[in-house]
Amino acid sequence: MSTTTTGLSAVIGATAPVARRVRAYFAPVNRATGVPTIFDAAQLGGFALDTPPAPWVDLGWVTGFVRKSATKVGALRAGAPAIVQTQVRTEIEATVAMEFESWGKLQMAVASGSEQMNLLATATVAAANGSGGVAAVAVPLLALDSTATSLGVGAAAAAGFRVGNLVAVDVDYAGQVGFVGSGVSAAYVTSSAAVGGDVNYVRRVSLNVGRVVGIVAGALQLGGSLIAGVPAAGMQVSLLTGFCDREGGSFFQEWSGLFVAEGEQGDRVIYHYPRLQAMQGAAENASALATSATLERMRLAGAYRALPVTDTNDGATVVCFRSYLPGAMRAV
Amino acid sequence: MENTRDTFYVTLRNRLAALNPARTMVVRGLVRPGVLVEENELATTFQPVNVFCLRWTGMRVDPAGALPLVTQVCEIRYASDGDADNGGMDRGRLLAAMDGELTAVVGQHPRYAVKTNYAGVSGGVAALAMGTNVFWGDLAFGAVTSTGERVERVAMVEVFSYQEAGEL
Repeated sequence: MSTTTTGLSAVIGATAPVARRVRAYFAPVNRATGVPTIFDAAQLGGFALDTPPAPWVDLGWVTGFVRKSATKVGALRAGAPAIVQTQVRTEIEATVAMEFESWGKLQMAVASGSEQMNLLATATVAAANGSGGVAAVAVPLLALDSTATSLGVGAAAAAGFRVGNLVAVDVDYAGQVGFVGSGVSAAYVTSSAAVGGDVNYVRRVSLNVGRVVGIVAGALQLGGSLIAGVPAAGMQVSLLTGFCDREGGSFFQEWSGLFVAEGEQGDRVIYHYPRLQAMQGAAENASALATSATLERMRLAGAYRALPVTDTNDGATVVCFRSYLPGAMRAV
Repeated sequence: MENTRDTFYVTLRNRLAALNPARTMVVRGLVRPGVLVEENELATTFQPVNVFCLRWTGMRVDPAGALPLVTQVCEIRYASDGDADNGGMDRGRLLAAMDGELTAVVGQHPRYAVKTNYAGVSGGVAALAMGTNVFWGDLAFGAVTSTGERVERVAMVEVFSYQEAGEL
């Protein structure tokens, strides 16, 4: 059956966007330089939701997406009696909150707000510790033998891994201070003593993790690309069993955030927060499954405060960009 | 309103034909994908099995906004007697398969389709794509009812559309 189109010169009345849900994407902020990842809706606003442009990472659907402006507008009065002459913005502030439909390393990291630790497989005899005891010796990567989805460890070392293992891939801790973690700044180390000189500390906090889905010719095949891309020289692989975050800590994660509500009429609303820091500790919200009071779904809850950037178009200091891409032939 | 109904039906029909080409039926001598709209067929008390029967029921119009927002309720009925070769003992499995197919085709993204005017198709005129999209909500599945060897379910879905200027 062939289909023709109506006269495309006809403009259709603009309707309020109707969106089913919101998709969340995050990208690293370079903490050392303070440079966020900027999303240019003019260039990339129409991207396919399943394939966000690099370096944005898809964190899946979110529910309960609520953004609030806390910007305050004051009145300037003059005269007697005083009459409002003009208005000024006395404070600029915005927050955004959501619940993640998926649990994963990145979702937990952005929702926890502080260091999000990997529960590294421990050494044979390791004292108990809340975020994991002393880790087992890591496995070095073979030079020039790894990619973002394949970790060359050699046949002998590969025998120590199984399909389904979780691994952290990062450099050894060697006394460095400042932000640590490849791909994303995962923690801030004030001194070697603070982390006990733990050679595995960077892998303990790293967001550069993956799932082994195959082992071929001495290489661990991963189910997805490492967030830091091709492993750098000196990186090693540690097995991990899961993830751990804590209430407390002094580190604030900071991310660039992108939230997309795709309208049912081909329109799209994009919220871009170049700098977001968590404004609450790790939390989750439980909701009962419809017909069973004894089963609850736990969604990671995240709440963030937006920090400022400068819009280079006019030098304005802003905390959020909302872009609207109208559907085809809608009145504007 | 009719354009919305037709668009939703054709979308479901095409998606089902792609998902399970084997689910077909014979209507007035023609083999078609296993989806029909009751009001578009000859009135009958015959309840076809192993196919999806669409019945349009409720409707409301929200006149706020530049275009009226129309909500129509579509009941989707389907039943199975099971396979005679199995003595009908697979009727639950066959109904479950239809549950899965319906979930897949209604939930498949995108969950909208360009509203299309099919009024002239039977007269040889090409279908006419309109300016807005038809979109729909989540399926609400009713309980299975059993009558003799027949198991049947009714699922409901709300279908939304904007009434375009000049559209009847």
